[in-house]
Amino acid sequence: MYRIRFHGRGGQGIKTASRILGSALFAEGYEVQDAPRYGAERRGAPIFAYVRADRAPVYERGIIDHPDLVVVTDESLVQVPAAAVMTGLCDRSVLVIASAAEPELWQQRLGVTCRVLTLPPGPGEGAALMGAASVGAAAKLIGQISAANLEGAIRAELEGLPSDVIERNVGRALESFDSFESHAGCVSEGEALTRASATPPAWVELEVEPTSISAPAIRGEATSEQVQTGLWRTMRPVIDDSLCNHCSWICSTLCPDAAIDVGSDREPIIDYEHCKGCLLCVAVCPSHAIVVEPERAVDEHRSDP
Amino acid sequence: MSRRLITGNAAAAWGARLARADYIPAFPITPQTEIIETLGNWIDHGEMPARMVMLESEHSMMTAAGAAAATGVRVFSATSSQGLLHAMEMLYAVAGWRAPLVLVNVSRGLASPITLESDHNDVMAARDSGFLQLHCASCQEVLDATLIAYRIAEDPRVRLPMMVNLDGFYLSFTREPVSIPELDEVRSFLPDFDPGSIRFRAGRPISQAVAVLGGGPYSYFRYESHLAANAAADVHREVVMDFERIFGRRYDAIETYQCEDAEIVFLMIGSFSTKARAAVDALRDAGEPVGLVRPRLLRPYPAEDLRRALAGKRAVAVIDQNLSPGHGGTLHCELAAALYGSDGAPPVLASFVGGLGGRDITAAEFFEIAKVTKKAADEGVTPEPRLLFQESELREVRKLQAIAHHERGLTGAEHVE
Amino acid sequence: MSNDTRFHDIKDLPSTHLLGSGTPMCAGCGGLQAVSQIYDVLGPNTIFVNAAGCMTLLSVYPFTPFRGSWLYTSMGSAPAGAQGVRDALDILRDRGKIEASEDMQVVVLTGDGSAYGMGLSATSGAIDRGLDFIYLCYDNEGYGNTGQQTSAATPHAARTSTSTGAAGYPGFKKDLFSIWVANGASYVATVIGTEPLDLARKIEKAAKLDGPRMILSLAPCPTGWDYDPKDSAEIGRLAVKTGVWPLKEFADGEVTHNKKPRKRVPVVEYLERQGRFAHLFEPERQDRVLADIQSKVDRYWDAVGS
Repeated sequence: MYRIRFHGRGGQGIKTASRILGSALFAEGYEVQDAPRYGAERRGAPIFAYVRADRAPVYERGIIDHPDLVVVTDESLVQVPAAAVMTGLCDRSVLVIASAAEPELWQQRLGVTCRVLTLPPGPGEGAALMGAASVGAAAKLIGQISAANLEGAIRAELEGLPSDVIERNVGRALESFDSFESHAGCVSEGEALTRASATPPAWVELEVEPTSISAPAIRGEATSEQVQTGLWRTMRPVIDDSLCNHCSWICSTLCPDAAIDVGSDREPIIDYEHCKGCLLCVAVCPSHAIVVEPERAVDEHRSDP
Repeated sequence: MSRRLITGNAAAAWGARLARADYIPAFPITPQTEIIETLGNWIDHGEMPARMVMLESEHSMMTAAGAAAATGVRVFSATSSQGLLHAMEMLYAVAGWRAPLVLVNVSRGLASPITLESDHNDVMAARDSGFLQLHCASCQEVLDATLIAYRIAEDPRVRLPMMVNLDGFYLSFTREPVSIPELDEVRSFLPDFDPGSIRFRAGRPISQAVAVLGGGPYSYFRYESHLAANAAADVHREVVMDFERIFGRRYDAIETYQCEDAEIVFLMIGSFSTKARAAVDALRDAGEPVGLVRPRLLRPYPAEDLRRALAGKRAVAVIDQNLSPGHGGTLHCELAAALYGSDGAPPVLASFVGGLGGRDITAAEFFEIAKVTKKAADEGVTPEPRLLFQESELREVRKLQAIAHHERGLTGAEHVE
Repeated sequence: MSNDTRFHDIKDLPSTHLLGSGTPMCAGCGGLQAVSQIYDVLGPNTIFVNAAGCMTLLSVYPFTPFRGSWLYTSMGSAPAGAQGVRDALDILRDRGKIEASEDMQVVVLTGDGSAYGMGLSATSGAIDRGLDFIYLCYDNEGYGNTGQQTSAATPHAARTSTSTGAAGYPGFKKDLFSIWVANGASYVATVIGTEPLDLARKIEKAAKLDGPRMILSLAPCPTGWDYDPKDSAEIGRLAVKTGVWPLKEFADGEVTHNKKPRKRVPVVEYLERQGRFAHLFEPERQDRVLADIQSKVDRYWDAVGS
């Protein structure tokens, strides 16, 4: 059985990518199961989707713990623990990351021994086509999908969208498909379920506990601040101090996420742990003092607070 | 203490009054309305220092009840039938808030067809909500159970809402002698409500009833409700001992009558169990070793008590005043689950469904149930489930059908195709 | 109004914020923008009684953005939850069991799905009873939490996930403001997060009054209305400038318009920036529908007068 996991952000087309790959495998005669996994989080938040394919009916369900192939369409997710990109990777797994950096650099940073491949974005290409590029790559790496079936699956899945959008996606997917020719078929099918490989469950006896802790109530204040929604961001707003005219904190008032405070010196400060990157502040700043910079995972800039 | 002739509804109202309920969200529905009218009247005339508010639906009534209980006051409410179903979403929700309150349900059959008369399908529909349940067989028990329910619900080991059930008409509008205890005595049994950690106050933030993501935390919180409900069994035992000490009336989780040496046992809940009791006397007079078991506490389910009471019996006749279409009687099913595989479990559990929509169960029927069940025990064959429905009733239905379908010129029997 | 307010100028608005960050609301959420500003004015001695909607996910165990309290109820009965809390606090105060300083402002927090539909019966009941509460509706004109299906707040011709044809939603947005006025509210106001000064003054005023008070906030929604999150503010401003979202309040028996756009911008400028109206411009421009929408807005403002 092939077990493939896609990781991306809400709104980046991960669900569509997994469905295209599922449809293409189905067209090749496989029994297929594909599904997205949502949380409560919204656009920009880490999500994943998975595809299983086998010649026999697929009876496994839910999360894939031991993937043969992991495709990450947003490199900034790799180091986000909550995204669980690295879960279950082993030596025979293949990891594909949408990134302009070299695969060796990733291998080194992540300390993994499995095969790592990168999928560089095209010049000026945003996140919009990364889904198509990643599904093209996955199809080639699995080595069981023809270009014709890949294209058919994309056209079926995107039916109803404007034709130029469909053509751009087909073009990008096929380009990516071809570019991985030297790695064709490098993904191998994982083992079937065996009893010997399972760890027995460590079941516990629950005791009756006081309602002060055993009811779904939260007694802390603003505990949401422990959630780093800054990880949703793909672009970051940066205040150019030389241009900021210390207005009446329009950026702070209009920030939906209370992520800009104004200090006593009237300097607005962006809280990057929580800024979701909506860039509303960029749009409303009267003196155009807030600029936009891309978030990149591998360069030094990311490690700044 | 005074002993007076009052209805079951009045007894429920007295229970709320003596419990010093602070807050009564209300909505009228037959046959419960007398309860809130009685309470409203007392409040309006300064006899009860509570606040009553009429909501625009039972769904809202139960929401307000839970919210007030979660804010830290003692809450009472009452409903019936469709009203209980309309509130059902909030029964589940409020139980999860772990906010203790008492809800009296006056049992009435469910639409469709609409009926005003009694059966237990309404309260059975709430079995899985997380509300604990006490079932009453007399007007006295209604008053006493209401007081007992507050003690159990508010116990820090439990903290779950509790329902007290009485049958429409047969108790709600039926007067019986009831001892109404003095307030001071009740106060020594049921002190003022201590909301403990569950309350809303400025300066003490709490986010209540929040969402959870993931099956793990959800399983934990749901199962904790289950464990707390189970813990209520021990709390019930303590509370009823206390009650007996103060008031001299004893309310075990199950009532047993003539059970010790019985070979055949009737099992049922609610007010018709007194009819079963009368039938037991008559059967004993005729030399038949028959007994009666009546669960008062239905949630938590008194499985251990039932296993003990029924061990070694030859057969049990379970009489359900409810019907799960496509399955049968609910008490029968729950009892079977409790007895399966236990030592001395009776080999025959016979199922009888009767008393639907207020239909009577006659003494002759109890005798017949005993006879059928004894025969089953003798032959070792469990009989098919039996609806208590007689030829005369079918003839009556046929007459009604003939009128209802008059324009088509069909009698009921011809219309069956 | 200006004499009674501590908000004379935008500089009077809080520069640090009460609502915790890190919520799971979408980036650029116009509803959260308003709620955050409102919370700054109401302060932490507030209990939000919530109806099912997007903002139910503000509090997901163990995370909450609130420094006061919160109670989730159901989609249909949040005002009844507010009733229970308010009554219980009053009882406790009457009996001397809590101090006045422990009391709280009770605020229903609801989306339009509940406010315009399932919750309307419970809402009307609470107004009938003269319940002392604030009712805060963030109106993103559809069932946003489930993917923007049509609600009774959806505007005419908008595409939703259940109105995907060329005409969009054939119905018209319900006038919830007038329903509240007719039902006997003590205060009703419309606000929007992109007009923070107007919003702050209205919340300040509502907090000082008693009885049933509604704050109805248009909540530009990048996800449901299909536009880039950074445009949330611009879309909110256009909603006011085009006259689509009149900023008004009802108090003392009168409706007052707080901001009458002197020269209203054509509604097309508001509509064309949102994907949910794209079918009115592509593949063909539906001039008649656009004219109908414009004339409905014109008629509204003609009736208001100058």
